[in-house]
Amino acid sequence: MMGRINNQTLYLILFSTLLLTIIFLFSFFVLIPKGKEYRLLRLESMKEEKVVNQARNDYKATNEKLEKLQKDNAKTIKAYKIPFNPRKFTKAYADEFQNLFLTELSMADENGSFKVYEVNVTTKITSPESFYNFLEKINKSQWIIGVNFPIHFERDGELIKSSFTMKVHNHEEKKEKKED
Amino acid sequence: MKYSFITPRPKRFISDEMRLSFFFFAVSIAMVVGTYFFLLYKTVHFKDEHTSFSQTIKDLEASTDVLEKKIAVIDAEVKMHEQIATDNTVLKESIRNLFDLVPDQITLTRAELDEKSLILYGITPTKDTYSFMLQAPLKSIFSRTYTSFYPVENGWYSFVSSNYLDDDANTTEGGNEE
Repeated sequence: MMGRINNQTLYLILFSTLLLTIIFLFSFFVLIPKGKEYRLLRLESMKEEKVVNQARNDYKATNEKLEKLQKDNAKTIKAYKIPFNPRKFTKAYADEFQNLFLTELSMADENGSFKVYEVNVTTKITSPESFYNFLEKINKSQWIIGVNFPIHFERDGELIKSSFTMKVHNHEEKKEKKED
Repeated sequence: MKYSFITPRPKRFISDEMRLSFFFFAVSIAMVVGTYFFLLYKTVHFKDEHTSFSQTIKDLEASTDVLEKKIAVIDAEVKMHEQIATDNTVLKESIRNLFDLVPDQITLTRAELDEKSLILYGITPTKDTYSFMLQAPLKSIFSRTYTSFYPVENGWYSFVSSNYLDDDANTTEGGNEE
């Protein structure tokens, strides 16, 4: 006699088939595409993480370079920020010059972020040696000063009257200053 | 009187075996759905991370650009400072060399130095002294040299020496006027 399938077994077969179908459809139409998307995004995320790390390293390296540059050239950087002060200048170079007159202070040029002030200087010196000393000392001054042509020397009794132009370079805003 | 050797059990709609099977079915579905939610969560997380990374990269690049601009400014400042210091030193040496050229016999009364010219005023005992001891070295330096002499009371000569440097001229010219 043929074995009779009871109700329980029938329910089990039906549910098993239903479960299999659901899982099959869910896997193929939802889970696998999601998995693919996940895998792509994960790869992309890893790449982006590398780029972020590279950008962080670049920033760190640039920052270190800037700090080193600022440390090595602290005096120069500071010199560009100090506004030119004729009174201080006259006082600083009193040893080289007997009479020092700064006759003009005007902005001569604006080159990018740099501003150049032109100063005409008239002075009296005892010998050319004083002028050489001045040119030597000016490179160590608190300002960035370049001595420019024309330079005139004229005998005035026992002294030499000299006049020349100086250019003071700095970052300061234009300040109109009158001769002290 | 009993008609069965075993105790009768209550008859259930779902048997124990079926319940066990359903339990496994539930576990399977839970695992699949759990995996789906995990992937969904991670996908959303990666998308958020992507936005965050993009912003971080943009910020870092902007900050690096700012630092590089600062470096460029400092580099330019340092180079300019070095150039100015070199120019001052060269100027000092040039003036020193110029005054060293003047012999003791000749007295300078005035000197006008420009980028391409030098004008000297002075007194010389004789024209020859000037020509041999001052004009010769000046001619070797400058492209064009002109000298004017004016006699003074004690028999000496007052002179004006104009010397010019041409950009492309290699020839040396000169002339004397009285």
